[in-house]
Amino acid sequence: MTRNFALFPLMVVITLISLPLMVMYGFLILDTVTDAPPGALWPDEFTLRHWRFLWDMSAAGNVWKATLNTAVLALSMVAVVVPVSSLAGYAIARLNLPYRRFFLGGILVMHAFPAVTLLIGVFFVLKFAGLYNTMIGVILVKGALMLPFGIWIMKGFYDAVPWEIEMAGVQDGASRLTVFRRLILPQVKPGLVALSVFAFLDGWGEYLLPRVLAPGSDMTVMSVLLNGLIAGDDIGYDFNLFKAVGVFYTLPVIALFAIFQNRLMTIFGGGTKG
Amino acid sequence: MSSFADPIVDGARRARPVRPRRAPVSRLGLILMAPALLLLTLFFFLPVALTGVFAFTDLSTSTGIGRGDYVVTPTLLRQLGDKGLSDTDAEAVARSSVTVDAAGLARARAAGVDDRFLDEIERRFMGRDYEAPAGFVRDLRGLRTAPRRPRDLKSAAALFETSVLNQRFATSQALAAQLEAMAPEIAPAVRARIVEASFTGARFTTENFRTLATQKETARLVGNTFLYVGATLSLFNVGLGLFLAVVLFYMPKGASSLFSTLWLLPRITPVVLYAVMWKWFTWEGGFLPILADQVGLPSFNYMKGSVVTAWATMITLNGFIGASFGLILFSGALRAIPLQQLWASEVDGASRWQQVRRIILPQMRWPILFVTAYQTLSLLSSYEQIWLTTNGGPGRTTSVWALEAFKTALSNYTGNLEYGMGAAMALVLVVVGLALSLIYLRLFKFSELVGRPKIEI
Amino acid sequence: MRLNLENFTKCFDGTPVIEGLNLTVEDGEMLALLGPSGCGKSTTLLSVCGIYRADGGRILFGGRDVSALPSQRRNVGVVFQNYALYPHLTVEENIAFPLTVQKPRPSAAEIARQVREIAELIHIDALLGRRPAQLSGGQQQRVALARALVRKPDVLLLDEPLANLDAKLRLEMRSEIRRIQLETGITAILVTHDQVEAMSMCDRVAIMDKGEILQIDSPTQMYRSPANRFVAGFLGNPPITFLEGRTGPEGRFSMEAGLTLPLPSHLRGMPSGRPIALGLRPEHFGHGGQGQATGRVTFVEPQGREMLFDVQAAPGVTLRSIQPTRDDVSIGDEVTWKVDADRMLAFDAEGRRL
Repeated sequence: MTRNFALFPLMVVITLISLPLMVMYGFLILDTVTDAPPGALWPDEFTLRHWRFLWDMSAAGNVWKATLNTAVLALSMVAVVVPVSSLAGYAIARLNLPYRRFFLGGILVMHAFPAVTLLIGVFFVLKFAGLYNTMIGVILVKGALMLPFGIWIMKGFYDAVPWEIEMAGVQDGASRLTVFRRLILPQVKPGLVALSVFAFLDGWGEYLLPRVLAPGSDMTVMSVLLNGLIAGDDIGYDFNLFKAVGVFYTLPVIALFAIFQNRLMTIFGGGTKG
Repeated sequence: MSSFADPIVDGARRARPVRPRRAPVSRLGLILMAPALLLLTLFFFLPVALTGVFAFTDLSTSTGIGRGDYVVTPTLLRQLGDKGLSDTDAEAVARSSVTVDAAGLARARAAGVDDRFLDEIERRFMGRDYEAPAGFVRDLRGLRTAPRRPRDLKSAAALFETSVLNQRFATSQALAAQLEAMAPEIAPAVRARIVEASFTGARFTTENFRTLATQKETARLVGNTFLYVGATLSLFNVGLGLFLAVVLFYMPKGASSLFSTLWLLPRITPVVLYAVMWKWFTWEGGFLPILADQVGLPSFNYMKGSVVTAWATMITLNGFIGASFGLILFSGALRAIPLQQLWASEVDGASRWQQVRRIILPQMRWPILFVTAYQTLSLLSSYEQIWLTTNGGPGRTTSVWALEAFKTALSNYTGNLEYGMGAAMALVLVVVGLALSLIYLRLFKFSELVGRPKIEI
Repeated sequence: MRLNLENFTKCFDGTPVIEGLNLTVEDGEMLALLGPSGCGKSTTLLSVCGIYRADGGRILFGGRDVSALPSQRRNVGVVFQNYALYPHLTVEENIAFPLTVQKPRPSAAEIARQVREIAELIHIDALLGRRPAQLSGGQQQRVALARALVRKPDVLLLDEPLANLDAKLRLEMRSEIRRIQLETGITAILVTHDQVEAMSMCDRVAIMDKGEILQIDSPTQMYRSPANRFVAGFLGNPPITFLEGRTGPEGRFSMEAGLTLPLPSHLRGMPSGRPIALGLRPEHFGHGGQGQATGRVTFVEPQGREMLFDVQAAPGVTLRSIQPTRDDVSIGDEVTWKVDADRMLAFDAEGRRL
């Protein structure tokens, strides 16, 4: 980067702007292992009692079961979104589909289109299909709503594979399916990994759909459990407990993000080429 | 390749016009698309269609989702009376008569009335009709097996009463026939009106849109939505995003990636936890109020305590999530600017501000347009964060269109969910969303993206 | 195997880019499709291998019509410009790929044997364990060639195979590809825009422009006797100089700018006043002949063994001469050099050779 300008003022400005985030995330971690006297900002004692929910199910409900349920939801998202997107993405990127222009335009519009506005319609589809209040319904809906995005991302990855690879494969006598399976799929592995991680994170953090579409399901996920703790306008929240549960809930997210940060960056931009 | 004016032609080339063969449809393509198409149809196209259909109905919890019945209730009669039904007609509809028949006997037997008593009723009065229940009760009192207690007698007699009131009819004809039998003096037109009004299921109506167009609440929701989208977008998604991108651009790599990770955190933090953090940050007993208290500023629940602070909180907490999108996109665009341009301007003696304004910002026009188009759509429809934090409060001062649509249809505490009204509100968003995403499609240079498949087999 | 294109036609978006093209490649012959970019040579190649569908006419392999067959069943080997090696497979797996998708699939031992055989022919048997990213450009080229040849195709198609190589490797691979083609005796088509490549590697050259073949001939014959002005201008480096003018009296040619030259002897009888163009190659100026031209040297380009001179013979008319290196001429000198009028090529106003 260019070195002709002073760095210090920039550091001050950006630190000031980032202060709220630093405070929020700093105290998020700090508060889980400390106690502060009422009305004080700074904690004065170290404690692990906010983590008692890990073994004491009366503190915050059955977090282990909820974690398992959340993992099931998140993994199901991967299982739905990744295969379906990678198949459709390939078809749309490389094969002679009828109405291909229309499909591409549709995917792009749906990609931009705010899917949450469809929630009311989705609610009725699930009612009619008998999938209301089931986790399967939530998974299918969540997966379907993520598809345009997934297909678009995968199309981008397929587009980056040279056509000559495909031509060479066909010329070598392989069918298009074989070419796809043995020659093209291995080239888009980074895309598959990125999309998998993204779908997992998306499923892991999801709150709205399980809450609205499966309120009576016995598969409580962590987001619903955590929000259930806070619900109601009680005074005297145990924020330290909420934070501890929240941090516990978010640990896998942070871990995955730390591992795959670079691959995820392209995807967080919305799969846009900017 | 379009011009074929070549002077050096050997001659025999202009043959019959060529009819190009169409590239064959890839069956594999259709198969690969099938799962996606199925899911998208079920949970994308169908919901859009249902939203469109239900927007024109008065579907709600009270109408139920299934087929409706025809029921005349006292409440309905009162409502009809307000709308001009005469009292005599109302009385006629509400009239009950007594008939001793097999059905009545069966009802009484099922209700546990003494068998001997019933046998006697059957023997003595079978087939008789009474205009008023009082006459029947008098007759019953004369029976040898009649119950001693007047209350038992009355309740047994009531089992033989028939009335249109509170009876469920599957079809309009059944109700009309019954009404005609019970109250023949009611004019057919009036009867039809009663039957029509007695339908409990959902009806097609444009009432939702008329309500939306006339109620004062609509204007406020639209205003709130514009304020929310406009302020969040300009201050944070574009403004802060651009600012961060430019500042990080000038920072050394380590610090730059540290801060960009920090700003990405709101996006990857699960929304529920993010809401908890903001509550802790702004509620009484939370960080900011304590801090304000210590330095002598007014300290209260900033998230819900006053309209101004509620708006500020709501815009900031959404903006912090949105800023990272702009940051990523703008950073990418900044990296695409050739460094030579910047060096050249530095050699020319430009200050940093001049460099940003003259060289960097002009090249950011397209990304800014893009972020604006894209984020307008997602802000317009996002309500999850608002729902989990201010929830439109205090009162409904910070409620936006999408949140209100959601609450109307799927989540309110009165228990009567107005699906039709909610769908109508959602339909407005769907139409606006479609229009905006078509604009977005044009920004995307769509035609460049639909290159033809290079293998024609 | 003999290859025929009969009345071959190809359209994009309903616009024909190649119309009614006829071409025969004899069994065991190596033919170059030579032309500027966008002339339709790659389109022709991709249609022969079946990546594109022909919109009209027939493509025959050994007399058998393959126009309707998909690529997979045409038994054509192709080497692409960027080699198109499968990056996730080793060299051995790359070469074996065409065999592994055959039905019935040959035994592993059989595949290994065939891969080894072809690798030895192409001199890459030492590289079999590596991945494409670990290979140099020339080695990748060889692997691509091996992969194309391993299933013993009827026809070998080479699409600009040397374009991505540096100058030295290009020279080496030129002769390597020709050696392998001769050793296997396979019918081959080389698509290229480089005339040196086409002329040095192939038995015959077909020059294409704007979707049609202008001339097919052996390299020497084509250089010596181009059928039209385009071919004459395309072949030769440094290129031929065209002089636009009219026939004059007494078998002379004159330009408006003032330069006059004798016509080639077979055209001396032409009536005067006809517009024609003469093509003068640099090696026919300054080496003897009946005509001569005088002018000022405007540019000298030493090339080591030879030197290239630009001579302004009249206002706006620059003749070019290539001669063994000499020190006695420099920029600004006035020279009078012979023009070998009989070796000049003459074209009529439509560009046809006279």
